[in-house]
Amino acid sequence: MNLRRILAVSYKEWREIVRDRLFLTLAFVVPAALMLVFGFGLTLDVEHLPFAVVDHDKSAASRDYLHRYIDSRYFDYRGDLESERDIARLLAASRIRLAIVIPPRFGERLAQGRAVAVQTLIDGTFPFRTSSSKGYVVAINSAYNGELLARYISDRMGVTLDAAMTMAQPVKVEMRYMFNQEIRSTWSIASVLVMFVLMITPPFLTALGVVREKENGSIYNIYASTVTRGEFLIGKLAPYVGISLLNFLILWLLATHLFGAPFKGDPLFFALASIIFVSCTTGIGLLVSLFVRTQVAAMMLTVVVTIVPSVLYSGLLVPIASMDPMGQFEAHLFPAMYYADIVLGSFLKGVGLDVLWGKALALALYAAVLWTASFLLFHKRPKA
Amino acid sequence: MGQAAVVNDDALVVRVQDFVKRYRKRTAVEGVSLAIRRGEIYGLIGPDGAGKSSLMKAVAGVLAFEGGYIEIFGQTIDSEAAAERVKGRLGFMPQGLGLNLYPELSVEENIDFFAELREVPKAELQARKLRLLAMTRLEKFRDRAMKQLSGGMKQKLGLVCTLIHEPELIILDEPTTGVDPVSRRDFWAILTQLLRERGVTALVSTAYLDEAERFARMALLHGGRVLAEGTPEAILDEAPGSLVEFVAAPQMEALARLRARFANVEAVGGRIRVFVPDGQAQAALAEVRAQLDGLAVELATASIPSLEDAFIALLQRQRGENEEAPMVAGLKEDPPVGDGVAIEARGLVRDFDHFRAVDQVSFTVRQGEIFGLLGANGAGKTTVIKMLTGILPPTGGAGAVAGADMRHAGQAIKERIGYVSQAFSLYQDMTVRENLRLFARIYGVSRQNLDARIGRVVELARLGKVCNEIVGRLPMGIRQRLALASALVHGPRVLFLDEPTSGVDPIGRRRFWEILVHLARVEQVAILLTTHYMSEAEHCDHLALMYAGKVIADDTPQALKDALVREAGQVLDIAAEPVLPALEALEQTGLADAALFGRRIHVLAHDVTAATVRIRGILEGKGIRVEDIAPRAPTLEDVFVWRILERERAEVAR
Repeated sequence: MNLRRILAVSYKEWREIVRDRLFLTLAFVVPAALMLVFGFGLTLDVEHLPFAVVDHDKSAASRDYLHRYIDSRYFDYRGDLESERDIARLLAASRIRLAIVIPPRFGERLAQGRAVAVQTLIDGTFPFRTSSSKGYVVAINSAYNGELLARYISDRMGVTLDAAMTMAQPVKVEMRYMFNQEIRSTWSIASVLVMFVLMITPPFLTALGVVREKENGSIYNIYASTVTRGEFLIGKLAPYVGISLLNFLILWLLATHLFGAPFKGDPLFFALASIIFVSCTTGIGLLVSLFVRTQVAAMMLTVVVTIVPSVLYSGLLVPIASMDPMGQFEAHLFPAMYYADIVLGSFLKGVGLDVLWGKALALALYAAVLWTASFLLFHKRPKA
Repeated sequence: MGQAAVVNDDALVVRVQDFVKRYRKRTAVEGVSLAIRRGEIYGLIGPDGAGKSSLMKAVAGVLAFEGGYIEIFGQTIDSEAAAERVKGRLGFMPQGLGLNLYPELSVEENIDFFAELREVPKAELQARKLRLLAMTRLEKFRDRAMKQLSGGMKQKLGLVCTLIHEPELIILDEPTTGVDPVSRRDFWAILTQLLRERGVTALVSTAYLDEAERFARMALLHGGRVLAEGTPEAILDEAPGSLVEFVAAPQMEALARLRARFANVEAVGGRIRVFVPDGQAQAALAEVRAQLDGLAVELATASIPSLEDAFIALLQRQRGENEEAPMVAGLKEDPPVGDGVAIEARGLVRDFDHFRAVDQVSFTVRQGEIFGLLGANGAGKTTVIKMLTGILPPTGGAGAVAGADMRHAGQAIKERIGYVSQAFSLYQDMTVRENLRLFARIYGVSRQNLDARIGRVVELARLGKVCNEIVGRLPMGIRQRLALASALVHGPRVLFLDEPTSGVDPIGRRRFWEILVHLARVEQVAILLTTHYMSEAEHCDHLALMYAGKVIADDTPQALKDALVREAGQVLDIAAEPVLPALEALEQTGLADAALFGRRIHVLAHDVTAATVRIRGILEGKGIRVEDIAPRAPTLEDVFVWRILERERAEVAR
């Protein structure tokens, strides 16, 4: 290892990056922009579902029942419809996601103690939203049923309504949310986005940076000179690791200050784990660059190998535990999952090395494998 | 080995034996052997795809190969580790003008990067940098970003970067392609000086056959094989014969008669050149005259053939062919409509942001005329063509093409012209016939006429044998003829060709020119083409030399040369031994425009006799043996160089 040659390569690379406006934008504006776009746009809370009602009864009971939906923050009331015929049209136009039909003589039948069917039509195009909507409807409906029952008991047994409630629902769920007390998805999303952006941008920059030299032909300067493979790779990648660490700081500040995510963990451990992760993702970019010849191909391949695992196999959208065994296996193959655990652990759970050392080790191993593979695959005397 | 006699030192620097390079299943180089001695400039000459780059990369140790043996400084290059051992003594400049440099870095930063990479001691770097920058006249541009340099400057910077660690062997892949002739001369002068001062050995490739005289020894490559190897004289000896040149009328009749007898006949402007194999000068002249019995023949001369003639003769011998039938004359359907003005440009200007790419360009092309726009990459040739064809709106000026005003009638122009672009816009996955049908339909040829039109251009471009082949699998030369046929399928009266012959081998080029000459002479089509091959420019009836966006000379090739002789004097060709000290002696005595061409020196002089005496005196005074001093007809390159220098001198004076 010759430090002078490594520095020569790094210094050249750094100046090229800084002077190329487009590349500089790509390096610093894009990561922050991704964080902002996804941070504000990607909220997984299902709230404000637009809905409409058809009330054939128009009694006090039906109004009371419907108000439980209208007053909920999960639903946005969009008005009464004359008949069921309008529902299909509004659902198809996505003006509403849900419609509730109260049959005639709703109040009368309830007063007689007879069962009533309330028809609920839900837009089923997006299963995640549909199942949440269904959950809300079922919960509101069962709360209403509980109340009816309690009122009945209180009337028949002459106890207070509160006592009747306890008798009607003897087992109560006492819930306390840990780590994210208000279950605000922005907290978790902002912190996981640090992982997402650091998973995607360093490989892009690195792959473009290396392939650019191949595409231009300036890689022949390296091939033809006495700089060794290792010196070149270290020198070439150092600026990209540096840029990514700077981005890491920016992203961390955005997550804690703009999105208000708490940071409860050990900053030193988190910083070290992040350096390992960035070396790892830079290594992905390097490996990609060795298999392609053009910048366009490098972009395509990087999208495939980074976005897919970081979205699907990191626990960002779907918890790893709820995947099938094949999916879980694949998730363990990608570094995104380990770092997502480290991020969530550091931000929200306040745990550090004692708990997360295994994940950090997995990332270190991953980085070592990527860099070794790249070193072995990079040749100064290629076959074509 | 003694250091005094570097040039004649017989120690081998590079030895290549039965070299084979394959890319997957395609063989790029098949059994090449050559040896390069210490201190010589060795040339690899051949068209695109001949295998030059593969061989050079392998020698530079940056490309693995499949067969044979390469030895550099006695080190066998058979593995990556072995290659690493000699890289400290090598310098390699890959193909592509300035492509290996870093556009965002300044001239000095580029040099520093290469120096740091090569661990040039800090103390020496400063001195070396100064010397090389002075030599290449780049000192003034130290802080300028590389992307803002001209083509010639990029190429010189590339050379400086390759030399900064003082390698013993430099490998330069097509360093002069697309560079203007002045920069080319400059480049050769620098290389020659280095060779003289440091005993550097150089392996240089080129696609220009007219550069062959710059090399001490060379290999002509074609299709991955060596066609001939050795000194220029030795190669000429392999294809003995004479070159007969004359003016004959009617030209087409003379060409037809000669082609029936000789394999190697071409029309160059108004003249006809015939290569007569195995003939002594007088016998060859008599043979040609016999063929042309009854025609008016004037100004017939017989001389030593050029390397290009030898190359073609060798290729034809190797292929054992004269396979294609001579051109069928009289293909025309409709008689030509007079000889009116086909293209007119008046004061064309085009700006890109703050950069003036084309500055006040005016010229006229008549029907039936071959007009050449000659200039380096970036001189503004393509921009002129794009404006005339209605693709690019001009910033200023006016023009008319085929009777339509360029500014208002873009569509009408496009219907009346044929355009062959630099990249030959063909569809690679379709057959030749399918391509022709597509272009015919695009240009609105009616269904009834379709087959007749296609049949006509197929015959004209001699594509009969390959009609049903997929274009992507055809060699460059045939694709080029197909591109021409596609541009002709709707019967245009005006044809634009943008660098049509780049990368095509000499035989392909010659066939292409036969078709162009036929189109102009027989069918009276007006042809405007751009080229940076000086030798090709000789074919044109009329030339405009472009430099930095301006037309700096505009006349027939002969008139341009006559003007040079009138203004600057005759070209004197000097053969002296040893040649390098001779050049030095001439430069010291004030003959600044003395230039080395292979083993010969060229000087411009008004008074031939006086100059001969003076030069002889200078050289013999230094103990240099003068073998021959003779006036030589100037080439277009001489003209171009003179014109550019004249312009530079005028700018300095102002």
